[in-house]
Amino acid sequence: MDVVVCLKQVVDPELPVRDFAVDPGTQRQVREGRPLVISTYDENALEVALQLKDASGAKVKVLTLGPAAAVSEAIRLALAMGADEAIVVDDPRAPELSGAEKACTLAAAIRRIGSADLILTGCESADWAERVVAPLLAEDLGAACVTFVSRVEAGDGAPVVRRLVEDGYHLVEVRLPAVLSVTSDESNRPRLPKVKDIMAAKRKPVQTWSPADLTRSSARDPGAGVEVRGVVVPERTSRCEFLTGEPAEQVTALAQRLRDQKLL
Amino acid sequence: MAVQLSDEHRMIQAMVREFATRELLPIAADLDQHSRFPREAVERAAELGLMGMTVPEDYGGAGMEPLAYVVAQEELARACAGFQTIVTVNNSLVCEPILRWGSEAQKQRYLPELASGRKLGCYCLTEPSSGSDAMSLRTTAVLRDGEWRLSGTKIFVTNGAEADLCLVYARSEPEAGARGLSAFLVEKPFPGASVGKIEKKLGIRCSSTTEIVLDDCRVPEGNLLGERGQGGRIALATLDGGRIGIAAQALGIARACLEETAAYVQQRQQFGRPIGEFQAVRWALADMATRLEAARLLTYRAAALRGQGLPCTGEAAMAKLFASETAMWAAHKAVQLFGGYGYTQDYPVERYFRDAKITEIYEGTSEIQRLVISRHLLARS
Ligand SMILES: Cc1cc2nc3c(=O)[nH]c(=O)nc-3n(C[C@H](O)[C@H](O)[C@H](O)COP(=O)(O)OP(=O)(O)OC[C@H]3O[C@@H](n4cnc5c(N)ncnc54)[C@H](O)[C@@H]3O)c2cc1C
Repeated sequence: MDVVVCLKQVVDPELPVRDFAVDPGTQRQVREGRPLVISTYDENALEVALQLKDASGAKVKVLTLGPAAAVSEAIRLALAMGADEAIVVDDPRAPELSGAEKACTLAAAIRRIGSADLILTGCESADWAERVVAPLLAEDLGAACVTFVSRVEAGDGAPVVRRLVEDGYHLVEVRLPAVLSVTSDESNRPRLPKVKDIMAAKRKPVQTWSPADLTRSSARDPGAGVEVRGVVVPERTSRCEFLTGEPAEQVTALAQRLRDQKLL
Repeated sequence: MAVQLSDEHRMIQAMVREFATRELLPIAADLDQHSRFPREAVERAAELGLMGMTVPEDYGGAGMEPLAYVVAQEELARACAGFQTIVTVNNSLVCEPILRWGSEAQKQRYLPELASGRKLGCYCLTEPSSGSDAMSLRTTAVLRDGEWRLSGTKIFVTNGAEADLCLVYARSEPEAGARGLSAFLVEKPFPGASVGKIEKKLGIRCSSTTEIVLDDCRVPEGNLLGERGQGGRIALATLDGGRIGIAAQALGIARACLEETAAYVQQRQQFGRPIGEFQAVRWALADMATRLEAARLLTYRAAALRGQGLPCTGEAAMAKLFASETAMWAAHKAVQLFGGYGYTQDYPVERYFRDAKITEIYEGTSEIQRLVISRHLLARS
């Protein structure tokens, strides 16, 4: 089975809030000087792919769209974790593209890769969280699509995937090719790379393509539909309210406040 | 001399930091309290390639150079200094000398087991009457009927309780001092080898420290490491690498002190503001950070020299001396800045304080490091 995992590199979401800034010109998050990491759920997607490799010898390619210089670390980490090869679509404008535009370019890259039975993405990116890439990729490629997948079991027949829902999960049999968006789960906690695999990652193949090398599908104008007018950092205000009265009244009032805030 | 970490070094650093944060940090206090050997974590570390980091891949190791090793050791020690002791002894004091002086057969037999974590190693130099003056040791080795017979008692052996393989130094030749010593690879099950007293310690409590008793212990002739009479050289050269590992341990402890303290002083309020706003407190943090950075540069330099195969005895001693004294000083400051809370087990700094002390003692006390450094200075001029 050939698996392609789409990885996005984002500013480390665990950085303190004070390191978050919006560039007033591009209306995008400032990336310069911030550590970049593989977007959280994309790492879960990679782990699902690597488990397929461990279980049934799937071949795992990682695909990333971004300025080549900025994504090299993500690629190296993915290769060290066990991916077989990497493809970088070198687009300096990538951080400014909408999810729809990215999906269009990624789909073109996947067509160029040729063989891809399963295409895995994170269920949302750690920065924009648009959740559109997987469904749009599937549409573009004419592939099946299942979202919020936690694990994949590939036996002899069609793979069966577990789709997490509110109170449990669905088991979905998918026809190939399929695009799966992966969510986090006990079972797909990203593995740590071994020291010797970190060294070996250097020797694995990395191809760099330019967007101009790719044939995007003309069926849909990826630019249409959504325009980001502005990005605003939420202002955090805190307010302290003292509840008065007898203890019993205070408790009732407190419970009501918590219910109002949907905390109870 | 500028030392720069490569991309691989930084990836190894990130990986070990993640491992230590996920798997050591949550259990460190409990391991300390119960003096419990962290067997599962050692197994995990071995899977990741941390038990034979500088052993070439051909012998089942990770094939890294000393600088990568140092970076990894700092991360382990930052989470749990006792765990790092277990790991560093296996790497620097057992794998390294086998790699450097072992016969092909010895390397084939022992390195893959040690690097994969199937076997654990220990280093038996110190004796009741020979610590700093290690070369005066009295354990004897006599070759009889194609077999060595070792007799004596080794003390303060790290990993002594769990180890499978002991690197033992003994007096085999009539010459006094270092020239009369040889090194032996003693498997624990060899008849006559046993574990004696298990020490109760101030710090690094998850790492065992024991006596290893050799009672006419029979060791095959082929388990002599290096040549007869080479033991003293092996012991001293091995300590160069060992000391770099301890320097890295001290870096980890000092960094843990700095990180915990920096977080605490921003949150602890006195006189209506966080104590981190008082200049006296800020200066203490600045000094901690500066000394830590200086210690790290010394340690990286010693590791880089060793990686290039250059002499580094003086540099390793300087790194170990300065880093260990930095760790002790930083731990002292950390407890002070935590006030009464720092003295309790509710916060980790009292453990750092207890752990830090050992770095000034083992693999040569601070006094002995000064002796080594000054000897080098005077020999050069
Ligand atoms: C937890 C722990 C783990 C250890 N692990 C190991 C191990 O795995 N393998 C192993 O072989 N050993 C191990 N050791 C032993 C350790 O290396 C020795 O304890 C150390 O070298 C000091 O020797 P000593 O204890 O005999 O002290 P001594 O040599 O008796 O020293 C006592 C004091 O005298 C000072 N002193 C001695 N000589 C001089 C001098 N010439 N000039 C100035 N001052 C001097 C010392 O600096 C020290 O302050 C371990 C020790 C401990 C506590």
